[in-house]
Order: sequence, then structure tokens, then C-alpha cells
Amino acid sequence: MYIIYLSLQISILYIFYVIGTWIQEALHLSIPGSIIGMLLLFLLLSMKIVKKEWVELGSSLLVRHLPLLFLPIIVGIINYFDLFAGKGLLLIVITIFSTILVMTSSGLVSQWTGRRVEKNRE
Amino acid sequence: MNDTVLIAVTSIVGTVAVYIGARKINKRYPYPLTLPILISSMLIVLVLVTFQIPYETYHIGGQWIEKLLGPAVVALAVPLYKQRKILKAYLISLLAGTIVGSIVGISSGLLFTYWAKFDKEIIHSVIPKSVTTPVAIKIIDSIGGNPTLTSILVIIAGMSGSILYTNLYKLLKITHPIARGVGMGSSSHAIGTAQMVDDSEQETVISTVAMTISAIVVSVLAPIVVAFLS
Repeated sequence: MYIIYLSLQISILYIFYVIGTWIQEALHLSIPGSIIGMLLLFLLLSMKIVKKEWVELGSSLLVRHLPLLFLPIIVGIINYFDLFAGKGLLLIVITIFSTILVMTSSGLVSQWTGRRVEKNRE
Repeated sequence: MNDTVLIAVTSIVGTVAVYIGARKINKRYPYPLTLPILISSMLIVLVLVTFQIPYETYHIGGQWIEKLLGPAVVALAVPLYKQRKILKAYLISLLAGTIVGSIVGISSGLLFTYWAKFDKEIIHSVIPKSVTTPVAIKIIDSIGGNPTLTSILVIIAGMSGSILYTNLYKLLKITHPIARGVGMGSSSHAIGTAQMVDDSEQETVISTVAMTISAIVVSVLAPIVVAFLS
């Protein structure tokens, strides 16, 4: 039974993904179809049109193993190793350093504003 | 069973097995460098290189795993729905952090590549590196650049954030769940968000929202910045 429920729920999620992609193409949006599908499902859950129980099982399985689903894409780097010979290596360093700066700045700003929100509420 | 099916099954089962093994290693030795996504991708690359298997062959099976990525992102709607009250309460802090992060990401990428005297195509390719791949490629479509290079830099941003966040947050004393999620989502998009799944549902949700907002902000800002520079 578990497998049947799981497949059904993942199919529902897949349908939302297809609808999201369709909306993206029809409206020429730059946001990917998967994110549009997510916002759509969120909307329908909030309006209680879709019940949480209909998708919860499939959702928790897919979300829990998200890192696995990225593996084939990451392994694709294999075809582009030569891109990083010589000066290209510097691009990796720049990207890592810039990533640290983004994480630091956005994290600190939201920590600071988050604590202010809490103070104002008290 | 014909060859294609056999190859597909082998690479799917192999990938899943490597991933399960990597999770076990990470549970036993929980350090940033034993991150399952890192050791499993390195191991698969090693196997492909050693046995001289072309990526295209591996991808016959790999694409089926990739196909679940779309519905998996849709699936994030469920934790999003469960945590909706938190999102509403901290909306300002979410927006502020993400917008600042997007600006820092664009400007630091620009500045460093400019200093290093890279040519214009490469400088442009660095601009959208903090946002999720499909959006980053759309941005490159509009500002010009090398989409292949961009998608690789996007992966590097995602992987480096995933490896570094534990220590970086400790160093900077970033403990607030909102801040931890915003930092990850703004800098390392979906790959980073995937790492928070084992930490907490709240941080995963915040990271999901942050990566979405940051995708929108960078799509709007990038063409403006490029127009201003040229």
C-alpha cells in the first residue's frame, strides 16, 4: 500500500511541476516551472483545496533526499574540467569567496532584523 | 534486457548506493568534508574517469534521477505550508537579508573578476552564480555570457556554501533559524537548501523562500547593472 500511496503522491507533485512549466512557458517567466509549481501547490494548500495529507508522504521522501537528485547534474562537471585550467582556477576562488560574502551579509542582516522583530513584539 | 536499459539501471542503482553509503559515512563522521553530496559526486566522477565511461553514458540512467528534481522542488510547498506562520512573522527580515545578499553577490562577483582582468563575457557569466541554474541561464540569455560556465559556477556556489556553512555560522555566531536559512538560500540556492533538510524543517523552508526571492531580485538587478556598466 505504501508504494501505491507514494507513487500516487509523487504523480500529483509531478502534475504540479508540469503545470508550473506550462505557466512559465505561456507567460514567458524567468522563474523555473518547478518553483511556480511549488507556489501553486502552496496556494492550493493554503486555500484548503488540496489537503496536506494528499501529498505529505511523497513530499517528505523527495525533500529528504534532495541531495541525491542533484548528483547527476553535479557529476556533469566532469565534461568541463579543462575550463578551469590556468586562469579559470581563479574563477573558482572568486566564486567561493563571493559565496562566503553573500552568506555572511545576508545571514547577518536577517539575524539583526529578526531580533529587532522579536524585540518590537515584546 | 537490452543494453540501454542495463546501463540505465546500473547507473541509477549505483548512484543511489553511493549516496546511501555516503550518508552512512557522514552519520559516523559528521564533518563538512564528508558531506554526502560531496563524497558521492567525487566517487562517481572517480569511477567514470577510471573506467573511461563518458558522462553521456552515465546520464542515460542519471537523467531519471534528475527527472525527480522538478517534483521535489514542488514538494517543498508542504514544509512551506507547515511553516507559513513563521514566514509571515519574519517577512521583513527575510526580504532584507535576501536583497542585501543579492546585491553583495552581484557586486562582489563583478568587482573581483574586473580586478582579475577577465574579459566581458566571463565577467557577465559570474553575475548570476548565486541563483538556481534555470534562472541563472535565463539571466545569461538576457545579459550575454557563457551559459555553460555559469551553470558550473552555480554548482560551485552551491557546493562551497554547503561545505562551509557550519563553520562560517559558528564563526559569525549566526544562530537564528531565519538567518541560517536566508544565508544559505541567498548564497547557495537549491543545492544549499538540500543540505538543510537534515538540520531543521524551519531552516529548509526559510532557505527555500530566500532562494526564490533571490532568484527574482537577481533577475531584475542583473540587466540593470550590466546596462549601467556598458
